[in-house]
Amino acid sequence: MSVLPWCVAAWLFAVGIYGIATSRHYVHLVGCLSVCQSATYVLLLAVGFHWHAGPPIFYDHPPGTPAVDPVVQALVLTDIVIGATVTALLLAIVVQAHKLSGSVDPQRLRPLRPNA
Amino acid sequence: MRIRFRAAALAASAAALFPAAWAVIAAMPPFGEHVSPYGAAVNAVVPAARHVSNMVAAVNFDLRGLDTLGEESMLLCAVTGTVVLLRGARGEGTSGSAVRLPGRAIAQRSDATILVCRFAATLLFFFGVYVALHGLVTPGGGFQGGVIIASGLLLLYLGEGYAHWRSIVRGRILSFLEGAGALLFVLVGAIPLALGKAAFRNILPLGTLRDLYAGGTMVVVNAAVACAVAGGFTLILLEFMEETRAPETEREPGEGG
Repeated sequence: MSVLPWCVAAWLFAVGIYGIATSRHYVHLVGCLSVCQSATYVLLLAVGFHWHAGPPIFYDHPPGTPAVDPVVQALVLTDIVIGATVTALLLAIVVQAHKLSGSVDPQRLRPLRPNA
Repeated sequence: MRIRFRAAALAASAAALFPAAWAVIAAMPPFGEHVSPYGAAVNAVVPAARHVSNMVAAVNFDLRGLDTLGEESMLLCAVTGTVVLLRGARGEGTSGSAVRLPGRAIAQRSDATILVCRFAATLLFFFGVYVALHGLVTPGGGFQGGVIIASGLLLLYLGEGYAHWRSIVRGRILSFLEGAGALLFVLVGAIPLALGKAAFRNILPLGTLRDLYAGGTMVVVNAAVACAVAGGFTLILLEFMEETRAPETEREPGEGG
């Protein structure tokens, strides 16, 4: 059981990368990127975990009781917020790409040429 | 055919990178048995040194405040980029009220939907404020609270309809919240510099542990982040919805612009 978190992180990353490489639609591609990113959340939280340790919030239990690593949790927190806004930015690029080329297939996107 | 080629290229690069990746994977500590010295030091020192009980918020807003300032600027850049890209075709002048497509019918909402959404949106809004306010005491904080506030505002759209929603949620206020939050964060970092101390030095009284006011400058940074996140996320929602409402002109989507 103790290797399960690593396996989940590796599986999420592999599935996301495969989806990005074989994508036929930009929205699908952005979704796959989010799956890849969630692999980092699982990995970071697993790195910070410690058996028999509580949350790093000393409200109910006094300071000094064993707690998991708060640094990686802070990283995951900011990662999620930045990930959401970057997803929005990528989707805005998809909207513009569709307007300019009429296609959302990565295969059919060509470099823009003047008057082409 | 091309997709098969892309998958083969992926498999080849994965095979090439595998020895290096395996060296890292094999060197990972067993799950749940490794204690990071930094995290353990934070847990041991910070409750007494900063009078806050939420260690995650303390790391974000005080100990690594400079790093969070970097995240905050990334958030600002991503929101700005999204807004600029979406407004690109429409031009800079945004309408203060909703744009309506001539051909599109406005779907009537049932009274039950409106009622439930008004209640739920209000509750969600205040829950977001609560989560943001108690960020330094219990799980939560400006990032989470800001996102909850933005989802409450989105629920308001579901009940009220777009035109009414735009008359409640003003784009200018959202951009102001986003920018002012980021500016406040920078000021908290820079004011100690002007006083001849280190950047992000905690210069306010620290308050008491497990109290609503605890952590000194962390309270200000937390509020700044809540404003910036709520404003930024709602602004993104507004711009995407405005995109679906763009009035159709002679130009067809395929002809570029």
